[in-house]
Amino acid sequence: MTDTLDCQGLAKMLLGAVEQIRANHARLSELDSHGGDGDHGTTMLRAMENLQSAVSASKCDAPGGLLGEIAWAVMGTDGGATGPLFGSFFMGMQEGAGDKASCDAATLAAMFQAGLDTLCKQTKAQVGDKTIVDALVPAVTAMGQAAAAGGDIAAVLQRGAEAAATGAESTKDIEARFGRAKNAGDKSLGHEDPGAVSASLLFKGFLEGVQQHG
Amino acid sequence: MMMKKFINDPDNLVNELLNGFALANADKVKLAGNNLVVRANPKPEDKVAIVTLGGSGHEPALSGYVGEGMLDISVPGEIFAAPGPPRVLEALRMANRPAGVLLVVLNHAGDIMSANMAMQMAEKEGLNVKQILTSEDISTGPRDKPEERRGLIGCLAVIKAAGAAAEQGKSLEECWEIAHRLERNMATLAVAVAPATHPSTGDAISEIPEGDMIIGMGQHGESGSGQMKIKTARETAEIMLDALIEDLSIKAGEDVLMMINGVGSTTLMEQYVVLNSCKEILGGKNINLARCIAGEFLTVQEMGGFQMFLARLDSELTELWDAPCKCPSMAM
Repeated sequence: MTDTLDCQGLAKMLLGAVEQIRANHARLSELDSHGGDGDHGTTMLRAMENLQSAVSASKCDAPGGLLGEIAWAVMGTDGGATGPLFGSFFMGMQEGAGDKASCDAATLAAMFQAGLDTLCKQTKAQVGDKTIVDALVPAVTAMGQAAAAGGDIAAVLQRGAEAAATGAESTKDIEARFGRAKNAGDKSLGHEDPGAVSASLLFKGFLEGVQQHG
Repeated sequence: MMMKKFINDPDNLVNELLNGFALANADKVKLAGNNLVVRANPKPEDKVAIVTLGGSGHEPALSGYVGEGMLDISVPGEIFAAPGPPRVLEALRMANRPAGVLLVVLNHAGDIMSANMAMQMAEKEGLNVKQILTSEDISTGPRDKPEERRGLIGCLAVIKAAGAAAEQGKSLEECWEIAHRLERNMATLAVAVAPATHPSTGDAISEIPEGDMIIGMGQHGESGSGQMKIKTARETAEIMLDALIEDLSIKAGEDVLMMINGVGSTTLMEQYVVLNSCKEILGGKNINLARCIAGEFLTVQEMGGFQMFLARLDSELTELWDAPCKCPSMAM
């Protein structure tokens, strides 16, 4: 039973995402080769390595401070919109965390909602445009519902991971309309959006990070 | 086909090109911080600073316009990719001064995202920054939907005018107003005849059938709608110029600025022939070609084709265009 996450707990949650991307980056690049320039996995891996370094270097003792540092590190990842988008998500989570010393399930769900809100300010993409938004919106919505129903942190992350995976899967049947991939048109049909798959891997990793380390 | 480019390590390409660029222009520019290109001799702090950002691989843009009379700092990204927000913020902090900073942003998704996020942080830190977005590609959206128009070579004219205004000691508000007025009175159309190779991956970034040209292809090989058999310089100029004149509603008797920007493998010879054709076409319509330049200002590797830029000039914009500047790739 996980009731609250302090800074250390949050760090473990975030490092779980690093492991997921490390294990799957080749698949992400392969997915990207159908519509983009085939470097999404490499970019995500660099972003996660930056995240990991920021966690190691951090002297913060509150979730908000840690999130601010990793947001900045992820944002600075070279390679198109990936770094800025995921970075903005963590930036929003920082604002959602405020200066609390730890967060409970409801706060965590609210932090994810704040992350999504900030990310959505950076892009006009909507659900159905075959982007990371297709994984993030259902995941964050499901987390909010799980928290409102009284779920603990693991339950909230579990629902988020499930909904993100379903959301990413749904992008298979969509034709790309956003980013550089839009120029590929229907060549992207039948393949999941690499950004959406990345997002679902992050959520899976968040859950595992919390479960493995309690 | 094997890529024929003289590079070393694709992962170190941007570092090496920036070092070489700084070496070749050591009297005008130098590198500072995390690969920011700054002036060798900084502008006095009581004058507005002009900053821009953009992907690499488009040399001499945009860092070639750092120098007296134009930019104070350029933030180069990776090949064809915008720099991340942290380096843009680093540049804004470095440029920050009581007179303020004008950030010139070309309308491309990655550039806008980085610029906006850096602007949000800059505002939180109390930096005095205003942003001007250049969006003038008439092939990607109508005049009343600037958000759909890509930023092409027009950024150069905006940087020239705003840079000259800043050098004269004009306020941030005034510099922004001048940049905005020019931006609203300019239009660009591109034509492509041969694709470029991505220097890191070796992949062609667009497909252009043998014997065809495509009017409306962007500087990353984004698709254009006007595909046809290649025509003469004059016929091509006529199609493109008519579209630009119509977009800007330019009337007989008005003064215009024109830039012919070769994007890589279209020769200077061809650019001059196109420019001369434009002069004749404009003359036939009694439109005054008040100022013009031709050359490689913003390239896309070895892509074949050019961007044709047209802007309506007033007396103040003409004076700012004529003002002195001393940059690696522009001198007046």
